[in-house]
Amino acid sequence: MFDKFRDWEQNRHDYAKDWQKHNGGKVIGYFCTYVPEEILYAAGVLPVRILGSHEPQDVTEPHIFGMFCPFCRDCLAQGLKGRYDYLDGLTIAQSCLHIRQTFTSWEKHIPLEFTYYMPHPMKVQSPRALPYLVSEIEIFKKAVEEWTGVTITDEMIKKAAEVYDENRRLMREVYELRKAENPPLSGEEAMEMVISSQLVDKAEHNEELKRVLAELPNRDTGRETGARLMILGSEDDDIKFINMVESCGATFVTDDHCTGTRYFWNTTPEGNGDMLESIAQRYIDRPRCPSKDWEDRSRLDHILKMAKDWDVAGAIVIQQKFCDPHEADTPTIRKALNDIDVKNLFLEFDVTVPLGQFRIRVEAFLEMIGDEDLFD
Amino acid sequence: MAEFWRWKEYNWHDENKDWRDGELITAGVDVGSVSSQAVIVVDGELYAYSNMRTGSSSPESANNSFNWAIEGTGLTLDDVGFVIGTGYGRVNVPFSHKAITEIACHARGANAMYGPSVRTVLDMGGQDCKVIRCDEKGKVTAFAMNDKCAAGTGRGMEVFADLLAIPIGEVGELSLDVEEEPPPVSSTCVVFAKSEATGLLREGWSKSKVLAAYCSAMAHRVVTLLEQVGVEEDFAITGGIAKNSGVVTRLEKELGIKALPFDTDTQIAGALGAALFAQNLLRKKLAKAGK
Repeated sequence: MFDKFRDWEQNRHDYAKDWQKHNGGKVIGYFCTYVPEEILYAAGVLPVRILGSHEPQDVTEPHIFGMFCPFCRDCLAQGLKGRYDYLDGLTIAQSCLHIRQTFTSWEKHIPLEFTYYMPHPMKVQSPRALPYLVSEIEIFKKAVEEWTGVTITDEMIKKAAEVYDENRRLMREVYELRKAENPPLSGEEAMEMVISSQLVDKAEHNEELKRVLAELPNRDTGRETGARLMILGSEDDDIKFINMVESCGATFVTDDHCTGTRYFWNTTPEGNGDMLESIAQRYIDRPRCPSKDWEDRSRLDHILKMAKDWDVAGAIVIQQKFCDPHEADTPTIRKALNDIDVKNLFLEFDVTVPLGQFRIRVEAFLEMIGDEDLFD
Repeated sequence: MAEFWRWKEYNWHDENKDWRDGELITAGVDVGSVSSQAVIVVDGELYAYSNMRTGSSSPESANNSFNWAIEGTGLTLDDVGFVIGTGYGRVNVPFSHKAITEIACHARGANAMYGPSVRTVLDMGGQDCKVIRCDEKGKVTAFAMNDKCAAGTGRGMEVFADLLAIPIGEVGELSLDVEEEPPPVSSTCVVFAKSEATGLLREGWSKSKVLAAYCSAMAHRVVTLLEQVGVEEDFAITGGIAKNSGVVTRLEKELGIKALPFDTDTQIAGALGAALFAQNLLRKKLAKAGK
């Protein structure tokens, strides 16, 4: 049932090239889910999120310091190896310095007709964040207009936001179904669904979501649910890892990842009719990346509520090795989870994960939270 | 050339007991990355065990350690009601009914060896090292494992025994034979630590002093791991390094906590825990079958 999402996820480059060929439009690669994609989409541009390929590589060493996160190096490797040679443009919204280095290095070494670095409020909790972001989006919009030759009207932005919001609502509906005692989809399928949404035309993704949602409530996956887990932390598109954990007798029922709920959780608010402000408001309000969630850590309550609502027995807290923003958040989050008696396991991810070494930790964790009575 | 790392392999069974008098006979087989142990438990009591080097094949190591444990007892595999595999090769124990991680098994084993007051178990194994917190039943409540390198493990100690030509069993005592505690070797990697040690020897350091520097580095690394989950007394150590007084003494000093003394071989903790889990599962299986 989720084959299409998997196909998109696995053949992302083919999809983008086909789209480009058939639509004659421009494709832009973006880093970080704070990029206001609605503006690009309104101008008829296809935004595709740049992700790594989880293969060992040796091309980024001269460009990125070894203690920057594996994800940012993996992404740059994709560029340097020419895997994204079809891109017309490249953009980023400021989140962390590691991924910004990827953007900067890419921009320097790979010629593109359009590149744009978008500053983005680092303290989204500040009352000044909204006007700041509105004006940045305004400037971004002008740059996109100049690049594409398209004048982006409010009406066009509104339409784009509608497509995006529909996508967000539909994916959230799928997540709601994961609250069931036996969720009709695995965590692996859910991850493929969300990641693919970052790679393909949202309108097309919406159609597929509607098709899936029509059948999903009655679907019998034929697999044991086992322990209900959530996974949270930094960028994570490590489907192999999700698969390994779920093969040990568990099911992921929700997440807090930018390749998961943080990407689609909230929709564009009604607002006062100013579309740029409404869009900006959404990016301010969305579940936050820890690089921006200071000093209130609103993300914490979000995670704890989700753990309760989705009735999780345990959480796997992961981070890309050397990811400073998550390193700052992890101890606090783990403590808060412990306080509400959600046991958790912490793992550091690299470009490739040591599945054998992780398996023992995961199995031991599942034994720890499991109810199998090995004891009197 | 003598192989100084080569520790003695052995087996044992309780001569004063006859397994035929028992009701529940179960086994735990711990196929680790460096050593393999098999333990036979009769009605919850330790009856026999073996401890040997793991070979290149996990199923073979499992078979060999089991066969050696039952040697001379008249017991056969058919007499054993339930077998649990644990350790690195836990899924490759051909005759096991179930696999359980060594983390759960070490906690359960330590609970049996040291008593129900144990709350923190440090397993210093052949190629990994884990800190396990547990409750009064020996059920795991939290754990952490080393994940960067093998410097705090038995394999590292073997490398040093060979480098300095000191039989592995004597390393601990010898490392304590220093007038003043030298600074620990700084490297966290076994291979680099070895290079560093070679340099120290060249500078004229005695073997004791070099071993002291290595044992102290190992103790320090392990303390870092312990701090990740926190140490609550009582504190017990399992695995081969528990027998190395050079590491244990320094560890205790740094922690300010004494490890419980042991009278059961610390290397069989995992297999013992597995055999005890097997007892419970066998009892439940029989109860279900109405026997």
